[in-house]
Amino acid sequence: MTNNAWTRRDLFGVAAMVALQGTLPGGGMALLRSLDPRDAPSARQRKLMLTVADHVIPATTTPGAGTVGAGDFAIIALAHGLDGARRPLGPTELPTLQAFARSDNSLDHVRWLEHRLGGNWPTLPRAKRHALLAALDTSAFANDPAARPWRMIKGLILTGYYTSEVGGSQELQYELVPGRFDPKVPLAPGARAFSSDWTAVDFG
Amino acid sequence: MNNALHFDAIVVGSGITGGWAAKELTEAGLKVLLIERGRKIEHGVDYATEMKAPWDLPWRGIGDAELYAREYPVQMLNRHFSEFTQGHFVNDAANPYQTGPDTAFNWFRSYQLGGRSLTWGRQSYRWSDYDFGANKRDGHGTDWPIRYADLAPWYDKVEDFIGVAGASEGLPQLPDGKFLPPFALNVVEQAVRERIRAAWPERCLTIGRTANLTAPKDGRGQCQSRSICARGCSYGAYFSTQSSTLPAAQATGNLTLITDAAVEHVDYDPATRRVTGVRWIDTHTKQRKTATARLVFLNAGAFNSVHLLLNSAGDAMPNGLANRSGVLGTHIMDHANTLSAAAIMPGFEQWTSFGNRPTGVVIPRYRNMDAMDGAGHTRGFSFQGGALQSGWTAGKRTAGIGAELKNKLRAPGPWRMVLVGFADCVPRASNRLTLDRSKVDANGIPQLHIEFAFGAEEHAALAQAKADAAEMLTKAGGQMIMGFDRPGPGGTAIHEMGGARMGLDPATSVLNKWSQAHDVANLFVTDGAQMSSSACQNPSLTYMALTARAVAHAVELLKAGTI
Repeated sequence: MTNNAWTRRDLFGVAAMVALQGTLPGGGMALLRSLDPRDAPSARQRKLMLTVADHVIPATTTPGAGTVGAGDFAIIALAHGLDGARRPLGPTELPTLQAFARSDNSLDHVRWLEHRLGGNWPTLPRAKRHALLAALDTSAFANDPAARPWRMIKGLILTGYYTSEVGGSQELQYELVPGRFDPKVPLAPGARAFSSDWTAVDFG
Repeated sequence: MNNALHFDAIVVGSGITGGWAAKELTEAGLKVLLIERGRKIEHGVDYATEMKAPWDLPWRGIGDAELYAREYPVQMLNRHFSEFTQGHFVNDAANPYQTGPDTAFNWFRSYQLGGRSLTWGRQSYRWSDYDFGANKRDGHGTDWPIRYADLAPWYDKVEDFIGVAGASEGLPQLPDGKFLPPFALNVVEQAVRERIRAAWPERCLTIGRTANLTAPKDGRGQCQSRSICARGCSYGAYFSTQSSTLPAAQATGNLTLITDAAVEHVDYDPATRRVTGVRWIDTHTKQRKTATARLVFLNAGAFNSVHLLLNSAGDAMPNGLANRSGVLGTHIMDHANTLSAAAIMPGFEQWTSFGNRPTGVVIPRYRNMDAMDGAGHTRGFSFQGGALQSGWTAGKRTAGIGAELKNKLRAPGPWRMVLVGFADCVPRASNRLTLDRSKVDANGIPQLHIEFAFGAEEHAALAQAKADAAEMLTKAGGQMIMGFDRPGPGGTAIHEMGGARMGLDPATSVLNKWSQAHDVANLFVTDGAQMSSSACQNPSLTYMALTARAVAHAVELLKAGTI
């Protein structure tokens, strides 16, 4: 944990980096500051997650997930156990996962990802980075136990993105007060879903 | 006692039935004290997250899982619990209860002005004589001392006041009411309704009857199709104490409201065989206070009303107030509940819907009515659910990254339909509430101990529900994804009820047909505690009707001088 220790220099170094690329998530900095030092990310980890998030949901006509802070959100969410991220590893889990257990025996997903992608992943050309991440995604969704933690990371990046203002109201539509219910509406090509369709969000 | 406050009536609890009791009693001209253990939440002022977007909140509306695991381990299991609504649910760590070694029971609670009326599902159904006659018919529990005809005019009264949107279907098992215009079925549900009806004419998929206004009513606004009701609704578009009964009661000038006051004891005078008032603890100052009244209505929620009666034991009634029968706390119930079927519904890809309808669909009971056709069970089950399109959260289960994934999640997902089974819960003496005097809460009051298990009847009903649901959705063109037949833990349906059941015989029941204690003529219990059976439809409308009916009777007795 020592090399993950949280320092103000780390925080503001990455904050400056993120700010240069786009926006910081509302309240994200305060939550990051409040993390237990054992769970706090290094600057390198924050940069990794930002980059990974932008590969999962890249910039298109709307900004990508890393740019809107979904990487930071995922770090915080993983540390606080959203989606069961702090569930203890079972005794039969692979040694390659056990090696990245936190003190409460839950998986430190970000450390695992750093290792899994390799130290030079952030420096690779974008296409190469994307190919490696896509391969990890394919393995994870093929139920390869050694790749399974990726699903948690990816899921929380998606959460961070689609609950951000950009993801929720620019990429998707957001209407807090629809004012009416229309039961049968033609679905036009290119129609955007509503992030404020709470039933769809709840039951995905 | 000389400094005690004095009223004509005291109502303990300000939720769905407490609000009704306060309204009816004050409108009858009585001076009423309404006591609520939780904090005050003012309508339209204190719905703190109502207009927030996910990105306005630190945890994006999902909430802090670490906090929830530590302080809300039960409440976090409620579908309506989130960062938006957590202020409308109890902190479990601060409000502990105990369960038996073989009991899994999730007790969902809302301790605040309005209680669970702020967070309820708003589904509003009349019960029928299949329900009121159930105990007599199969011998479980004790016979209800009332039938549908006794309650029908009170259902009318309640529906008139709260506003229930629904479609009349002419079903004997789910009597029609005085409805506002219904919400519409979406394109998939309409097709499924027609296909089910073609195959099984006795099975009716209809829109859920919900206490949301489809037209403005009595100063309350029309539902805006947000479906975020549990945050609180400043439009007043769904029935809650704050939107409806409390303002009516306050308008009389006869209501005194005290919040942050946990009632610990109902005082009883053995000489007169009447209750004389209540004692409570100010939850902030921990001071004990007292009020007296000629009438006491318990509306603390089924389990808390039973808790209060058990805790009000005295020399005259050592096993609990109004418990000469010994059945107080027994025969508690909750609907056995599970996801019976989920299916992909192809063929509707060109359609979507707009707005968030605040209700789903229902398929009322169709088994064990005039013919006993249940496989291993004697009662009913019904389904609630609906057709929906998946949203961005489906991406968590979707392989792929990059622009392709982003584009895929941009559009509404495929249609699916879910049917959730609700099975009648047989009343059993072994399912019961007691006090654990070895453990107390923050106010020094003994904790509630819950013993509860579903039995063979409920398991058989849910097994048949699973098979039926799969058959119906498949017949309707669906491709089955999954279905379950094991009930969730007790409490999952949030329809916990019973414990102070109504009955004809004072030796085997706590309350008479007027929700009035057999043993104490000026004590009424009109929340879920009074229920003698569970039916398989949502009970809140029935609680409200029984409350209005009980108040009318109590006022009559009071005016006649007999209590």
